[in-house]
Amino acid sequence: MTNELVYGAYILIWPAITLVVLGVICGAVARDVRKAKKADEDLI
Amino acid sequence: MNDTGFTQFSTITVLLLLAAFYGGTYLLTLLIRKDREDTSGFMVAGHHVGFGMGAASMTATWIWAASFYAAATSGYTYGVSGPIHYGLWGALMILFIYPFGRRFRKLAPNGHTLGELIHARHGASSQLILAGSNILGSVISLMVNFTAAGALVSVLSPLSFETGVIVAGIGVLAYTLTSGFRASVFTDFAQLVALMAIAIIIIPAVLFSAGGTGVMVEGLSRMTDEQASLFSVDAIMNQGAPFFVAVLAYAIGNQTISQRLFAVREKHIKSTFVTATIGYGAIVIGLGMIGLMALSVGMEPIDGNMNNLIPQMVSTYLSPFFVALFFVLVIGSLSSTADSDLSALSTIMMADVYGKNIARNNPNPKVMMLVGRITMIVATVAGLVFASFSLDILVMLVFVGALWGAIVFPVIVSCYWERVTNAAFTWSVVVAMALFCVARFELLEMTGLTVLTFEALASVGGAVVIGMMVFGFLGKTVGLAAGLLTLIAMLVFATGFLRDYMVLVASLTAYGASALVCTVMSLASNERFDFDLIKQRVGDYDGGAVDDDSAMIPEGAK
Repeated sequence: MTNELVYGAYILIWPAITLVVLGVICGAVARDVRKAKKADEDLI
Repeated sequence: MNDTGFTQFSTITVLLLLAAFYGGTYLLTLLIRKDREDTSGFMVAGHHVGFGMGAASMTATWIWAASFYAAATSGYTYGVSGPIHYGLWGALMILFIYPFGRRFRKLAPNGHTLGELIHARHGASSQLILAGSNILGSVISLMVNFTAAGALVSVLSPLSFETGVIVAGIGVLAYTLTSGFRASVFTDFAQLVALMAIAIIIIPAVLFSAGGTGVMVEGLSRMTDEQASLFSVDAIMNQGAPFFVAVLAYAIGNQTISQRLFAVREKHIKSTFVTATIGYGAIVIGLGMIGLMALSVGMEPIDGNMNNLIPQMVSTYLSPFFVALFFVLVIGSLSSTADSDLSALSTIMMADVYGKNIARNNPNPKVMMLVGRITMIVATVAGLVFASFSLDILVMLVFVGALWGAIVFPVIVSCYWERVTNAAFTWSVVVAMALFCVARFELLEMTGLTVLTFEALASVGGAVVIGMMVFGFLGKTVGLAAGLLTLIAMLVFATGFLRDYMVLVASLTAYGASALVCTVMSLASNERFDFDLIKQRVGDYDGGAVDDDSAMIPEGAK
């Protein structure tokens, strides 16, 4: 059972980290979009 | 599923998926299109890409189609530690370059390519060595990505390999041609969101559909001791070590990375590259786990082709809907890298070739834009032709990898040490490449004093790799100490042992020889370069012609 948990965690930790990074990137882009709109500038 | 073991889509379904992907991407670029693009926007998005877009773009660019296949192959071949030994070192390529990137940016705040910086520092020969290695790398990358598109389309549908190659080539060119790097970065964000979302869904889906963690643990008994170990020496020596050696070389040799170092807002370089490191590592290692799962359940790759592992696992355990998601995942990853390669190639031709060598600091921005767009078209055609021929690129890859290894020390040291000369840069690369060829192809009998000499050079190379990495983060004193300790350790423990891994010896020789030649020639020179000159020599091309001024021409170019 412990082995299963460890092995499962070893495989599933990567999509979990991916999810966190996705959240960070989307949050940062949303902030940039708001800032660009406020300053009437191009996002990129 | 067809008799080969893959889910088969109809021609219409695949064409619709491709049309939706490339059509949607093209429509996205209309949101940022300008009536009149300027060269700075076309090459580096005006140097003010934000953190989110920058991190997304760097991650998406560094993940190419081969990343998934190679990570899964590594998991299948080396077992538990395999995906890490592929994904971790690939991720560190992004991480270890950013301290040097900040230095590049400080020296040339208005730069577009690393070649421009080297031109300002040394002159044309050093710059063209760097630009040439960048061009080769990007053309190979384009070819590999278009090949992956053709292979995927031909495996999952009745369409031919050539159809997949052509659709990918035209699709990528269509959305990149008008806005260049701006389009590349903007679409990278959308492609990465899709790519990450699909990876987050597919990895657990395959795990649980294949029987869950219980089946995977049972599968451990099917593995060899090396495969079941997280600290497999086999995986370290054959997968990890060659990748570790290439960490700085790939980053320095790749214009797609330096372009982003010049494009992201200076204060966001660190956060952007650290986030991209984590994102890349998580996605690639995660998808590599599918290879480990294939090994655990005892799956044999169809036709013995390891590239079939992921499509096979997805086709076997998941519904066609997931296979369609996987299709989008691969098309997204290869397209994001291919558009970055097109932008990189066009920027090199615009800035390094036209701007610095043909127009000689008097470029016409309109001609420059034309050069960039023509380069994209020519590069796409070249990529399509090479991909259609299914060329064996191994030899090319070997040389490009060695060239990148040979230029690491001269490029980095040229940005910190005022004594490095153009001759030291050029000759260090030439000598390193010659010695690399001797070791790689064993042109001399590798016995006795000869092999010992190469092991000693490789030990210097190992010291350079470690020393440079430490230097980037912790400065000169700690870097030198780390390099010295590595050299001693390698001379004591690696001589007599490294000769069993001649590919590794050859790679390390390229680093070691170039470092030795560059250092000796620099110490013998009287040159003391003023680094402030780089800022003056590397400028914006949109503000009109640069006045003729002898200070603008580096000594090496006179």
